[in-house]
Amino acid sequence: MNEWAGRVRDLTSFPLPGPLCLLMLLLPLLSPAAPISPAGPISQAYSLAVYMQKNTSTLLQTYLQYQGSPFSDPGFSAPELQLSSLPPAAVSFKIWHALDDGERLSHAQGAFLALTQHLQLVGDDQSDLNPGSPILLAQLGAARLRAQGLLGNMAAIMTALGLPIPPEEDTLGLVPFGASAFERKCRGYVVTREYGHWTDRAVRDLALLKAKYPA
Amino acid sequence: MDIYLCSKRPSWLVDNRRMRTTSDFQWLLSAFVLLYLMNHVNSQRKETPYDLKCTTNNLQTWDCSWKAPSEAGHGTLSEFCIDNRSRSCYQLARTNIEIPALSRGDHEITIRSLQDAGSSTSKFILNEKNISLIPDTPEILNLSADFSTSTLHVKWNDKGSVYPRHSNVIWEIKILRKKSMELVKLVTHNTTLNGKDAVHHWSWVSDLPLECATHYVGIRCYVDNLLFSGHKEWSDWSPVKNVSWTPASQPKVFPQDKVILVGSDITFCCVSQEKVLSAQIGSTYCPLIHLDGENVAIKIRNISVSDSSGTNVVFMIEDNVCGTVVFAGYPPDTPQKLNCETHDLKEIICSWNPGRPTGLVGPRNTSYTLFEGFSGKYVRFKRVEVSTNESYHQLLFQMVPNQEIYNFTLYARNPLGRSQSTILVNITEKVYPHTPTSFKVKDINSTAVILSWHLPGSFAKINLLCQIEIKKINSVQELRNVTIKGVENSSYRIAVGKLNPYTVYTFRIRCSTETFWKWSKWSNKKQHLTTEAIPSKGPDTWREWSSDGKNLIIYWKSSAFRQLTKPQNKSSFREDFSRQPQLRLILWLFNHIEPKSCYVQNDLQTEQAVGMGKGILLTWHHDPNMTCDYVIKWCNSSRSEPCLMDWRKVPSNSTEALIQSDQFRPGVRYNFFLYGCRNQGYQLLRSIIGYIEELAPIVAPNFTVEDTSADSILVKWEDIPVEELRGFLRGYLFYFEKGERDTSKMRDLESGRSDIKVKNITDISQKTLRIADLQGKTSYHLVLRAYTDGGMGPEKSMFVVTKENSVGLIIAILIPVAVAVIVGVVTSILCYRKREWIKETFYPDIPNPENCKALQFQKSVCEGSGALKTLEMNPCTPNNVEVLETRSTFPKIEDTEIISPVAECPEDSSDAEPENHVVVSYCPPIIEEEIPNPAGDEAGGTSQVIYIDVQSMYQPQAKPEEEHEKDPGGGAGYKPQMHLPINATVEDIAAEDDLDKTAGYRPQANVNTWNLVSPDSPRSTDSNSEIVSFGSPCSINSRQFLIPPKDEDSPQSNGGGWSFTNFFQNKPND
Repeated sequence: MNEWAGRVRDLTSFPLPGPLCLLMLLLPLLSPAAPISPAGPISQAYSLAVYMQKNTSTLLQTYLQYQGSPFSDPGFSAPELQLSSLPPAAVSFKIWHALDDGERLSHAQGAFLALTQHLQLVGDDQSDLNPGSPILLAQLGAARLRAQGLLGNMAAIMTALGLPIPPEEDTLGLVPFGASAFERKCRGYVVTREYGHWTDRAVRDLALLKAKYPA
Repeated sequence: MDIYLCSKRPSWLVDNRRMRTTSDFQWLLSAFVLLYLMNHVNSQRKETPYDLKCTTNNLQTWDCSWKAPSEAGHGTLSEFCIDNRSRSCYQLARTNIEIPALSRGDHEITIRSLQDAGSSTSKFILNEKNISLIPDTPEILNLSADFSTSTLHVKWNDKGSVYPRHSNVIWEIKILRKKSMELVKLVTHNTTLNGKDAVHHWSWVSDLPLECATHYVGIRCYVDNLLFSGHKEWSDWSPVKNVSWTPASQPKVFPQDKVILVGSDITFCCVSQEKVLSAQIGSTYCPLIHLDGENVAIKIRNISVSDSSGTNVVFMIEDNVCGTVVFAGYPPDTPQKLNCETHDLKEIICSWNPGRPTGLVGPRNTSYTLFEGFSGKYVRFKRVEVSTNESYHQLLFQMVPNQEIYNFTLYARNPLGRSQSTILVNITEKVYPHTPTSFKVKDINSTAVILSWHLPGSFAKINLLCQIEIKKINSVQELRNVTIKGVENSSYRIAVGKLNPYTVYTFRIRCSTETFWKWSKWSNKKQHLTTEAIPSKGPDTWREWSSDGKNLIIYWKSSAFRQLTKPQNKSSFREDFSRQPQLRLILWLFNHIEPKSCYVQNDLQTEQAVGMGKGILLTWHHDPNMTCDYVIKWCNSSRSEPCLMDWRKVPSNSTEALIQSDQFRPGVRYNFFLYGCRNQGYQLLRSIIGYIEELAPIVAPNFTVEDTSADSILVKWEDIPVEELRGFLRGYLFYFEKGERDTSKMRDLESGRSDIKVKNITDISQKTLRIADLQGKTSYHLVLRAYTDGGMGPEKSMFVVTKENSVGLIIAILIPVAVAVIVGVVTSILCYRKREWIKETFYPDIPNPENCKALQFQKSVCEGSGALKTLEMNPCTPNNVEVLETRSTFPKIEDTEIISPVAECPEDSSDAEPENHVVVSYCPPIIEEEIPNPAGDEAGGTSQVIYIDVQSMYQPQAKPEEEHEKDPGGGAGYKPQMHLPINATVEDIAAEDDLDKTAGYRPQANVNTWNLVSPDSPRSTDSNSEIVSFGSPCSINSRQFLIPPKDEDSPQSNGGGWSFTNFFQNKPND
């Protein structure tokens, strides 16, 4: 608890809105009242996220390697490419810091929900573009399953914390089917990149939660 | 008139044909007139209508126009008259008129301008040849664009209804690009008019995607009517129509996802509102081609094959990127090695090699369709993406009932093209049966079995060819081909005969069809033991009486038993049978074999034979009495009788037999018996002992020495047992040489050393050997070894010492003794007989001075003569020399044997003479010496006795001067021999000098010198040992040494005066 208190002090040193600080202080007090201890799901989710984190760069590199030049060129990066259907993981620290646990979990939940759908889409795209590359297809499939697993874990955390679970949305809609091969490649790039970013963010989110709800 | 003329000869409507009919003169004249008239007309144009021109756009009406006279105002009427068969005139308020097309030929046209001031008339000759055909300007009905394929579609009406039929029309279409209307394409398009209006289409594929720039299209035409002889001209260009693409807000690259042939050229463009910075294909940057606005294009030439995900084309825009993917590949190769066969006549499997890879995958990959021409059925190839690397594809086609001939066409297509391959097969000739299963073997009888197996397939209409492999253990496999009628239920049976009874066979089978295409794979192997059969003949038998003659032993051979290494249950009876041969076989023989009695010849000689290789060849002379056969039996000779290893029957007409057996071993003696068969029984004809191969004996003969003498040794040996001989004994080799047990090693027996004597005993019955001519009492090394044709056996050696030769020894002793006795006797006799002379000579009562050589002493000594003087052996009292040492640490040395009382001298303790008290005896030379112990040596107190002859004492140079002075003083006269006590000390002698001079008889020498000790003597220089001198009083004139100078270390120093005492004293003191 001392560590947590220190963390809270650090956080309060930032100009956060007053009610938010109060909520954050209250959360640990409220947590024992939750029906199930959130420490177990948090720990599970954290472990999974850390595990996913180890594979995200491999997935991105494998993906780019199969898309041909310039995607496969060393150091390829196109941060300007974004997908409207996929919320970007990048967020200013200030905003992120101001989020409460529920918002963080809700954002991550939404992002990984979108990511699972997008990873499925990218897998289908690559089945057309790179049918002879089982390694890439397997990695995409594995990433999708892990994202689904993390979704489940986060739902368990939200349940344990007594937070409302956002309903599943069809984030893709009708948009992606007419995409050209180049758009598919770019889409896959954005998805695999954002998957890594969101995993990094989830690790950080969950680390924060884990510290707040120690086992 | 001028006008007429003028009208009659219009300058530019003159018909050339007329002019050609006139003569040259006329032509020149006419030309002149024409020039004149032209000037005249031109000068008059202002007054009359002129410049009549007629065109047509449909060949049916002519449009003629002319210029009115200059003075004619607007609204002036004109009269246009065509002068043909029916003159027709038209009143016109204008200067043009549309008239129906006139027939061929010249037509005179009169145009009269009706002016207020009067009329002016012009006449023209109008011909079709002067008419220009100018089609109407065509109009593009529709211009459309297929942006996906960058194709422009142009549609227009040819207006064919206005033209006579069968007019050819040439259309010229121009494509302009960009707002600056750069001409990019100009093409002609031919059509034929058929009298009706027709809409024509024309398509054009743009190298630049149509989205990138506005494209304009214009068209004109040229009607080429063969019947029209006038002038034909292009129509005017139609108004251009354009195609443009409404750009989206986002930049976009065209074309998207294009599949193109490797090596072709392609242009990509980017439609953008913003400035495009760069463009690249793959990792290669390309120069930008600027189009309208910010749109750019790049042109790729000779594109190379793409990766599976295509080649990326990327345009970099400020803050954005856009791109496309192009898939460069090949059209499908013609399917190669298309082959169709069936396993079961139910389903046809067609396989092929796709050939060159297309480089296209996924949705762009080649799709295959197998089409059967007669039935019209087809199947499509479903690609399994995992196996993209497989070199063969295959498709299954369900057979059509009652159809044997199939015409297959395999179509391959991909976005770049298509190909096909065809094969016509009679499927009954392309049967590759499955592997036969459920393969079983059943017995029919002992030589035949039934093979059954399962072969799935509908082979009812064809015959199967099957191959059966029959393999017997330790035998070559046999292949039998059989043809079987195919059945519908897939079960087949076949009988296989000509087998051996009770034999293990291994069967397997494979099948094909009678019209052979391919063998199936072999079925599993099936091992089978054929059933037993009744034996075809009795066993090979032999019988012998037991050694006691009471039992008959019967032997038999059964090849069946040897074949079956694993008797099965049925053969248990046989196993029992084989264990109890006598009981069972006697019963068996009772029925089948007629025992024959055996005769034995007693006078048989045993022969020897040696085999060759693995067998032994026995030969015999033909004996007509032997009517049945010969039997050769053999056994190991070391076995007790009766023994039998095996036998062999040989036909009666044979005279030799090569006996071979796996049981034969080299070096083992076998007995072979040859029996001949007569009616009354077998008779032993020959008895042979033999070896398959002779080996060297493995033991040496056991030999002993029976007797030894001084010069001979009698050696006896024993036979080597047959088992250890391992061959026929050919003899013995006996070696002997001198040698002790320790030193002599008789090596290299075969090397023929000269000192080794060898005796080869080839008479193998000989068992003893006497070796003569040996030396007595000598050790001899004897070696004996046996040998066969197989080689030398090991050696056995012995050492023997011959006895001493006693007679020789006795003789050797007796002869010297006898000689000595004889010499002694003779000497005694001589001495006895000459005793008077001897006495007179040697012991006269009164010595004869002349005989005393002492008188010659001075002279001889002084002369230093080296002449030898004999020492006369005068009888004298033996004396001894006693060496006494003053040092108490050394024991007194004393000869206990002989002590002369006169030699006793008191011990002197003089300081000047620290030496021992020495008593010198001068005769006979018995010298005793005591070697001090080694401790004394170290202390330097060595006592030493040096024997110096008399002469040395009288050597002048060795004497001190005072002695020389004393000698004369001592008197040289005769002195009687008397016994004098000898004082050892110089002082004593000196004291007695006076006495000596006064005494009567004295020895003829100065006795002082006898024990004179000179410290200067060379012999005393190296040690402090005493030097003892002695001499003979009776032979002082002798100047010879009695004993040579003593060398203490040399035992030879005693050689001159040998005695036991001396001998022992000279021994080293250890």
